[in-house]
Amino acid sequence: MSEFDSLLQGMNLILTPGHIGLMVIGVLLGILVGVLPGLGAPNGVALLLPLTFTMSPVSAIILLSCMYWGALFGGSITSILFNIPGEPSSVATTFDGYPMAREGRAAEALTAAFSSALIGALAGVLLLTFLSTRIAAFAMTFSSPEFFAVYLLAFCTFIGMSKNPPLKTVVAMMIGFAMAAVGMDTVSGNLRLTFDQPALMTGISFEVAVIGLFGIGEILCTVEEGLVFRGEHARITPMVILRTWAKLPRYWFTILRSTVVGCWMGVTPGGPTAASFMSYSIARRFSKNRDNFGKGEIEGVIAPETADHAAGTSALLPMLTLGIPGSATAAVMLGGLMIWGLHPGPTLFAEQHDFVWGLIASMYLGNVVSLLVVLATVPLFASILRIPFSIIAPIIIMVCAIGAYSVHNSMFDVMLMLGFGALGYLFKKLGYPIAPLVLAAVLGDKAEDAFRQSMLFSDGQLGIFWSNPLVGSLTTAALLMLFWPLISGGIKAAFGWRNRHAIKPKTL
Amino acid sequence: MSNSSHATSLVGTRWVELGLAGFTLLIGAVVMFGSIEQGIGWGDAGPEPGYFPFYIGLLLAAASVANGVLTFLRWKPLSISFVSRGEFRQVLSVFIPIALFVCAMPFTGIYLASAVFIAWFMWRDKVRAKPYGVIMIGAVSLGAVLASFLIFDLWFKVPLDAGPLGDLIAMAGRSLK
Repeated sequence: MSEFDSLLQGMNLILTPGHIGLMVIGVLLGILVGVLPGLGAPNGVALLLPLTFTMSPVSAIILLSCMYWGALFGGSITSILFNIPGEPSSVATTFDGYPMAREGRAAEALTAAFSSALIGALAGVLLLTFLSTRIAAFAMTFSSPEFFAVYLLAFCTFIGMSKNPPLKTVVAMMIGFAMAAVGMDTVSGNLRLTFDQPALMTGISFEVAVIGLFGIGEILCTVEEGLVFRGEHARITPMVILRTWAKLPRYWFTILRSTVVGCWMGVTPGGPTAASFMSYSIARRFSKNRDNFGKGEIEGVIAPETADHAAGTSALLPMLTLGIPGSATAAVMLGGLMIWGLHPGPTLFAEQHDFVWGLIASMYLGNVVSLLVVLATVPLFASILRIPFSIIAPIIIMVCAIGAYSVHNSMFDVMLMLGFGALGYLFKKLGYPIAPLVLAAVLGDKAEDAFRQSMLFSDGQLGIFWSNPLVGSLTTAALLMLFWPLISGGIKAAFGWRNRHAIKPKTL
Repeated sequence: MSNSSHATSLVGTRWVELGLAGFTLLIGAVVMFGSIEQGIGWGDAGPEPGYFPFYIGLLLAAASVANGVLTFLRWKPLSISFVSRGEFRQVLSVFIPIALFVCAMPFTGIYLASAVFIAWFMWRDKVRAKPYGVIMIGAVSLGAVLASFLIFDLWFKVPLDAGPLGDLIAMAGRSLK
């Protein structure tokens, strides 16, 4: 197997003390941002980006991706111990994790969460290992219209599948595209949408938007809700770990199903949040212990956690092979790749063999390192949450400000961060999603280039998006996704099904 | 509710929905206007620079208008409170200091502004039974600033704007050498 050889090569590359040290640092920082309110994986990665400019791309991606894994793990700590999801994707973990902690089974819940998370993550990496080369080889045949159709599919899926109102998703997405358009036009070299303001000439960086929207916006929302941390205590002993591990095989089917859900949602741009919710509700529907769900059922911790991490890791598959991130964090990492001078997409596999396989190998190792680190440091990070808000909040805000400043060494960016913070607060409260904005801001230029190239080929005829079976089916699938809420509504109406699901309250 | 003013609504959700829709509509209009300046047609080299952004602006504006219309359609259910006075006061009590912090930064540099910001935040915290001592406040604010200097400036070589005061210290340091 050539994948196997490449993987060994990658392992060889990353098994140095320096890289393993970076992994541990990345994981620790990741758990930290996952635990702290107001910081999460997307803006944690955005904050760390400027620090990676001087590193080699392999070291940089190891640091950032391990931060992502750490944040995914850290999010479950706060969910279970404090009933506060540190990450949107760990909201579903609170449903049963926190009740378990209240019953004094916190250590069991944490171990189950971390272990199933690792299984989910490893499944995602396996998928990445064996599918990525094939998909990349397939995508090598793509030209601009196909690429644009793939982008279109990603964006339309976001609109059609989102829990948020479709029109609000469109608004968020278009703001992202507009941001991407500000500054120098990549084709003509003209300055666009700058209105002669020198501060806008370099464009609006997606990092600043991410830090403002996720960081400052989150802090403002937290303040409004009034911050009361009433956490449960947990001490994880080897005995509890072993006992919980002995229980896990009983739930093999739940784990398998959640893995499939997670991988699917990660590869299509559903993202970890949608994956964990979906997996939780499926588990609840089919479980023998249905009535115990929400009251501290271990299966209700395993299902969302497995799916969350499977989605988190498999989100890197479309990011690496097609240049389309499956989650907001993957979008920020993709932006990082471009800043390091790499071109995400099929050519990456041919030109940057070491980088790709170093990353994939580091994902195996990084997730195992994450599990060990997180099991060992739960009490430490739980105590961080007990630090009063009046100390932790200004420090978080300072870190955000420094992060925004260091993107371009510009004070204007810090102001912009503040504006995005206010916008993020309103967006969250009114149910506008933030992830599509980030995705569009990162991908805007590439999508536009693909579109303009296609238009050049066809002399302005939109028919080019149906000019061959491949691009035609991609475009059609995109339109189907876009109108999915209407279509599924139509089908249900036609068959006389009543929509029995009441509208669920908004989640994060 | 402990206090009656905490419970009273400051503004209905519908007005905020309308306001935000208006704001995004404005952005859409600005984007369209800026694109038209660049040319949205078909030039000698294919699509002109404003070609793609124009439609982005158009979609943004159209979706904003539709959101506004939806708000009117759901006028009654959206009369629920967006934020209560008490909650909003809480939000402002954090937002205004952040705004001041950000605005002060270009003049004082990042370090001084951050130290004052953290110290003020801790000093103002009256929720605690026992206020923080001066030593505690000083240690945390200076410690955080020092840590950011070490991490960013020294280890990762990402220079942060130290402001006039920082420049002065740097100059003094150089002249000592």
